[in-house]
Amino acid sequence: MALLNTTRRWGAVAQLLHWLIVALIIVQVTLAALADEVPPGLRKLTLLARHKSVGITILMLAILRLLWRWNNPTPDLPPTLKPYERRLAQFTHAMLYILLFAMPLSGWMMSSARGFPVSWFGFFQLPDLVPKSKPLYEALLTTHATLACVLGAVVVLHVAGALKHHYVLRDDVLRRMLPFTHSTREPEA
Amino acid sequence: MTAIARAASGATVLVVAVCLGVASAVAAPSGVVHYVLDQSKSTLEYTFTQAGAQNKGRFTRFPVTFDFSPDDLGASRLDVTVDIGSLDTGDQERNDTLRSDDLFAVAKYPQAHFIATQFVKTPAGFEAVGKLTIRNLTHDMRVPFTFRTATENGAAVGYMSGKTTLRRLDYGVGQGDWKATDQVGNDVGVSFALRLTAH
Repeated sequence: MALLNTTRRWGAVAQLLHWLIVALIIVQVTLAALADEVPPGLRKLTLLARHKSVGITILMLAILRLLWRWNNPTPDLPPTLKPYERRLAQFTHAMLYILLFAMPLSGWMMSSARGFPVSWFGFFQLPDLVPKSKPLYEALLTTHATLACVLGAVVVLHVAGALKHHYVLRDDVLRRMLPFTHSTREPEA
Repeated sequence: MTAIARAASGATVLVVAVCLGVASAVAAPSGVVHYVLDQSKSTLEYTFTQAGAQNKGRFTRFPVTFDFSPDDLGASRLDVTVDIGSLDTGDQERNDTLRSDDLFAVAKYPQAHFIATQFVKTPAGFEAVGKLTIRNLTHDMRVPFTFRTATENGAAVGYMSGKTTLRRLDYGVGQGDWKATDQVGNDVGVSFALRLTAH
């Protein structure tokens, strides 16, 4: 598989970034859910520390991903799409990119506002983005949680779109983001 | 010198030392100034690693008496009582956790003490050699500090500051899960800047 994208298919680098971020988002949701359930204590501290480190990792990967996207062709959307479908796809993808930044940044800001500096797996400490403030922390906590729900909704839309392309429209939109598949052929009739 | 004479002279030194100690506690002998803490203008802070990041906190009540003369270190004595319940890390939840049984156990051990009776002159200032007790566990501790005096509104004051590091687990601050040091480091930095008034 080629490393670079073509106008027909995502390259290996774009695919790796896509699926790595998918996996890390699943980790994030799991860590957040576990942390919500435990009382304040070392276990909560550990879970939240991992959540923050993984979040910063996603932020770094999102930056790489955007840079890669800007320096590579983007596979075209199928020409058969209706204008509203095209707009919906573009909107969904734009939202996903925005949320890949907004989620970790709101979490990082929330941690700063709480007065708990963020570290990346203990290797280095990140600067505080905002000054310590209780009202700000509470506002950011709400923001972070709301954005998580928005992300959930957009992911549902994204997955539904991919599955519709694969099973209903029977085109290669899903396959071209999957490794070990060939999508150079025309969609089956 | 015979053994008896040596013992007698040792006893004399001891008696003199005890008398000096008592004297300094009751009324400081000439040269040694009796200082007490000006709480509102003094800080006692600590830094610790939490989840890989530096965090800090402070105590807001820590009475100090300091009988000190740079020229009579032998008669000097430092006595610090830290009201552990006064800890503040800027986060209510974290403060409550720190006060709980697995960490400071404030209900059982409300105070920490540092008592120094030996003082050493160092190139940078002085070193107080004494014993620190937290959670009823006592260890020797050397605390370097600088000291300067001033006259403010006609009153003699002393400024004492310094910093040191200790290991929280030496004092049992961290039981159960909290014995692990990967999320909350063992090393704790302590720094102080005290304003003392002469009495």
